[in-house]
Amino acid sequence: MDALSALKLVATPSTGGLQANAMQEMASSLTKSIPAAEMQQLTAASSDMPLPSLASPSTVGGGGAGFGEMLGGLVNDVAQKQAAASSAVSGLLSGQNVSLHQAMISMEEANVSFQMMVEVRNRLLDSYQELMRMQI
Amino acid sequence: MISLLTGIESSASALDAERMRMDVISQNIANANTTRDVDGKPYQRQEIVFESVLSALQEAGNPDAGAKTVQVARVLKDPRPPRMVYNPGHPDADAKGFVAMPNINIHEEMVDMIASSRTYEANLAVVKNARAIAMQALSIGRHS
Repeated sequence: MDALSALKLVATPSTGGLQANAMQEMASSLTKSIPAAEMQQLTAASSDMPLPSLASPSTVGGGGAGFGEMLGGLVNDVAQKQAAASSAVSGLLSGQNVSLHQAMISMEEANVSFQMMVEVRNRLLDSYQELMRMQI
Repeated sequence: MISLLTGIESSASALDAERMRMDVISQNIANANTTRDVDGKPYQRQEIVFESVLSALQEAGNPDAGAKTVQVARVLKDPRPPRMVYNPGHPDADAKGFVAMPNINIHEEMVDMIASSRTYEANLAVVKNARAIAMQALSIGRHS
């Protein structure tokens, strides 16, 4: 079974076996590492820009929820997809009624949404650094 | 829950359905010479019927929302009569020496199998394309 668990690690797409709690930690550190005041600024800046698609998606957001919470929700979504993919793969490998393409598709979904999260994080850090570089 | 690969549910359900069709075809080919099924009669060819399923949004009264998925409606028995083969030494032969063989034509099953595997491939191509499109869209933001 050691070979199988190694396989599972390999199969978890692109994160190299990054687990759900690790990702949640990452989310909280992401929101914490940016001080509240700057976060406010960022939120204000982003609300000035026409970004309706950023404000509306997924389960979080809602009325009045901050951008940080929304980002946390995105990371939670991605973590859920990772967990779904890993349970599909382990279901396939342990002979439960999971077909090959179901496992592959859920892995792909996890992969794409992880890439999406990384892109969002890159954008956020870029704009933060841009703000910090601003001459006063 | 975010959904980045939209429309992939239809393809996934079609892959499931084609997998099931392949299972039925393999069962038919495997039993092409079975003269005694569980009911004592020769094996009867099985046929699969698909039906489309509305998404949750469509059921809520919005016919244009989301994509329809497909599922197996039922597996039917082919009503064609069995093939009669003269073989008096066979334990299932009747009084005149004829054995009722299953109503299966191997060539027909092979053609069905080719059609099924081509459909599977087509749906896989859709999945691959959806993934490629998502990755390309993500690469918009990459500047290096």
